[in-house]
Amino acid sequence: MRFEGTLDIAAPRDRVWSFLTDPTQVTTCAPDVQSLDVSDPHHFKVVVRAGVGPIKGTFSMNVQFLELERPKHAAVLARGQAPGSAVQMVSNMDLSEFDDTHTVMEWSSEVTVSGMIQQVGARLMQGAADKITQQLFACIKTKLEASVPI
Amino acid sequence: MAVEIGGIGQSVKRKEDARFIRGRGNYVDDVKLPGMLYLDIARSPYAHARIKSIDTSKALAIPGVLAVITGKDLVPLKLEWMPTLMSDRQMVLPTDTVLYQAQEVAAVVATERYIAADGVAAIEVDYEPLPVVVDPIKALQPGATLVREDREQKDNHIWHWEVGDKAGTDKAFKDAEVVVKQDIYIPRIHVSSIETCGMVASFDKINGKLTVWMTTQAPHAIRTVIALVAGHLGLSEERIRVISPDIGGGFGGKVPVYPGYVLAIGASVLTGHPVKWIEDRSENIQADSFARDYHITAELAAKKDGTMQALRVKTVADHGAFDAAANPSKYPAGLFHIITGSYPFAKSFVEVDGAYTNKPPGGIAYRCSFRVTEAAFTIERLVDVLALEIKKDPAELRMQNFIPPTAFPYTSSLGWEYDSGDYGRALKLAMDKIGYAELRKEQAAKRAKGELMGIGISSFTEIVGAGPSKHFDILGIKMFDSCEIRVHPTGKAMVRLGVKSQGQGHETTFAQIVAEELGLPVGDIAVEEGDTDTAPYGLGTYASRSTPVAGGATAIAARKIREKAKLIAAHLLEASPDDIEWKDYKFQVKGVPAKSKTMQEVAFAAYTNHPQGMEAGLEAVDYYDPPNLTFPFGSYICVVDIDRGTGEVKVRRFVAVDDCGTIINPMIVEGQIHGGLTMGLAPALYEQINYDDDGNIQGGNFMDYLLPTAMETPNWETAKTTTPSPHHPIGAKGVGESATVGAPAAIANAVVDALAHLGVRHIDIPITPWKVQKILKEKGVAE
Repeated sequence: MRFEGTLDIAAPRDRVWSFLTDPTQVTTCAPDVQSLDVSDPHHFKVVVRAGVGPIKGTFSMNVQFLELERPKHAAVLARGQAPGSAVQMVSNMDLSEFDDTHTVMEWSSEVTVSGMIQQVGARLMQGAADKITQQLFACIKTKLEASVPI
Repeated sequence: MAVEIGGIGQSVKRKEDARFIRGRGNYVDDVKLPGMLYLDIARSPYAHARIKSIDTSKALAIPGVLAVITGKDLVPLKLEWMPTLMSDRQMVLPTDTVLYQAQEVAAVVATERYIAADGVAAIEVDYEPLPVVVDPIKALQPGATLVREDREQKDNHIWHWEVGDKAGTDKAFKDAEVVVKQDIYIPRIHVSSIETCGMVASFDKINGKLTVWMTTQAPHAIRTVIALVAGHLGLSEERIRVISPDIGGGFGGKVPVYPGYVLAIGASVLTGHPVKWIEDRSENIQADSFARDYHITAELAAKKDGTMQALRVKTVADHGAFDAAANPSKYPAGLFHIITGSYPFAKSFVEVDGAYTNKPPGGIAYRCSFRVTEAAFTIERLVDVLALEIKKDPAELRMQNFIPPTAFPYTSSLGWEYDSGDYGRALKLAMDKIGYAELRKEQAAKRAKGELMGIGISSFTEIVGAGPSKHFDILGIKMFDSCEIRVHPTGKAMVRLGVKSQGQGHETTFAQIVAEELGLPVGDIAVEEGDTDTAPYGLGTYASRSTPVAGGATAIAARKIREKAKLIAAHLLEASPDDIEWKDYKFQVKGVPAKSKTMQEVAFAAYTNHPQGMEAGLEAVDYYDPPNLTFPFGSYICVVDIDRGTGEVKVRRFVAVDDCGTIINPMIVEGQIHGGLTMGLAPALYEQINYDDDGNIQGGNFMDYLLPTAMETPNWETAKTTTPSPHHPIGAKGVGESATVGAPAAIANAVVDALAHLGVRHIDIPITPWKVQKILKEKGVAE
């Protein structure tokens, strides 16, 4: 499944870049994070609770920055599992300056889901993904657009 | 008199129903033993992946979890692989690679079922996903992802099997006036018996005796398999007892050995406690043996007038990751070569190639005798394609071509000797009963108004009752079956058989055979199956073999008893045995009806006053090796209406005329046909298990896999003709599967018939509203 979109953020590009590529900051916007373990600047492990329809699970995700071209492009590979289910996600992000105080983020994500979540929840996946994406971006916007960084 | 006895031909009420309708059946999950532990299985989310590591520490830390078993633990016991019934092998648990989604990866043993499930959830497996191949045709292409690295042969080809006269068939096609060709996919489906599979294994460490209660259709064969697989661990066949208690549906899915069985036995031997393993619904559909999955290309050569001449069939069979089908050893594609059906093809040639894919293993016969449904569907669909091609009524085309009743015993060009048949009589009865001519008129009138109505016929021939020992074995064990009868002094009888009922009504029908042969009331005859410590050895119940094989054994064992009883009767009547005849269920002095003895009187004498020099008692056992298979047949006609808005197919009428030879219990036969028709409706319109490109199962639960219920099922109209089998002791042929085999083609033919004037020639089953609506839109007739 491929997801993509564009997000306008009322914050300078450098600030957006720093936030989105810092595991400790960006994961504060991920839903239901249980733990975070940063091993090096390119790798971190995050445990999140997520669900699709009737199937819920704790996903242990290994995340790796594949490409980091400050301040405009990043690619991330995330791979993780919950009992009976597995997910792999390759995401790309491109940041451009609309002006000094506005950044446009174009993003896309190629998601492969295996196992129980895929079997039971395939037709619910889009809705679940939209919900998570909305929450994530609303949070990112709120945090980045605040007058004082929060 | 006959009614009192309840012999052959009587609709005796099913003796087993007294407990079933009161909820007093005894299924595997009802078995509870002191100190019993529970086993649950962790399964792979990936269809193909390398296992980098398995971390069991968190699972083992859960209070109540006693053990976690992985593939590596099984290596020292040489139990990580087990043989399949098809000369292949199958992983019990993987040591490094998983080959299909929902494959067993580790097992947890715990004090309670829910704790075992918690343990499964806590197991952490690090997988590295590998490329996946789910399409068997792609799997056979060069460079395809290799499914089985463990084999010496480094491709996905399992076997090639062919039968018939290739050169002669090719020549017939070259010379033919008309050739039709059709690709047909028979999709992967699942038996979905209402009771899932399970086992309670109980190993007595002191006596070295293993007792297992399990859902198996073939308890004796399973006992031998356990002894062969685990003999090196000290499990010896005389100390293995397999008990199949009541079974909630088998349909072929409870013939194979699944890893869960091996794990439950292993866990009991390891812990010394009884261990219970019961699958949940999703595990059952996702990991247990599937059925069908045949990609068929079929060609038929005929004269312009419709005379059928030759048949050529090429098939790719998807067997998943292991060839764990349950076919007789000599027939890797089962009895698929019954594909010439009810027609006298002078030349025919059939070839099948088996392929490995990253899908669950199997290829079992789902309520059909080893790939017979695939064969019957193909030929009956192809006949309709020919009818369309030469613009001939499909009923007329069939009538023109049927093997005539005078030609039996008839040897087909693929080598089977059909025992008996009268195909025209069955089709004519079905046509009369449904009002075929009137329906064709109605169809023409409706078509003129733009309404979509279709009439479909299926005149199938089955091949059941495997089988004669010269052709049939499983793991080398010949496919005979057995019956042991003991008549007690009070004239009551105990009958034990090597087969195992899963709902077929054996406790009634086999009692009726004995009642007929011995003149004892059916209520005085107890039938017991499924306990290997007490029942004689047999190969079990599947492929409609119980009546053709064990039914033969029952009749012959009873006749052995009657022979001895006659000598005792002569002794009691002070007459020569030559002057004694068996008449009206009694022994009479010929011409003197007043001088007679009942079987009860003889039975008492067998223990109290038997002739000097004769052994006491009245018992017999027979191991029956049938001289041939039996060939039940039938003609089904289906009428459908199609909704031009939704694409929904509604079965308006369905007439099923079956001929299964001598009928033992008409009520049970009718019930078998009703169930079979519903299981034939299912793949025709609803059921399919699909996989996406990553090997994710689409349809691994009852939300996505539609089993027809009373809501979807039409009113079945049944009728019969009776053409006894000439070689069977009571003339019976077997009927458990006829309707499953015959129904799908009738329904598919009806749908295609409804759309034929739009240029539609074939639609692959299941014919879902989505598929039909797509066609209606393409043809510009959707509402």
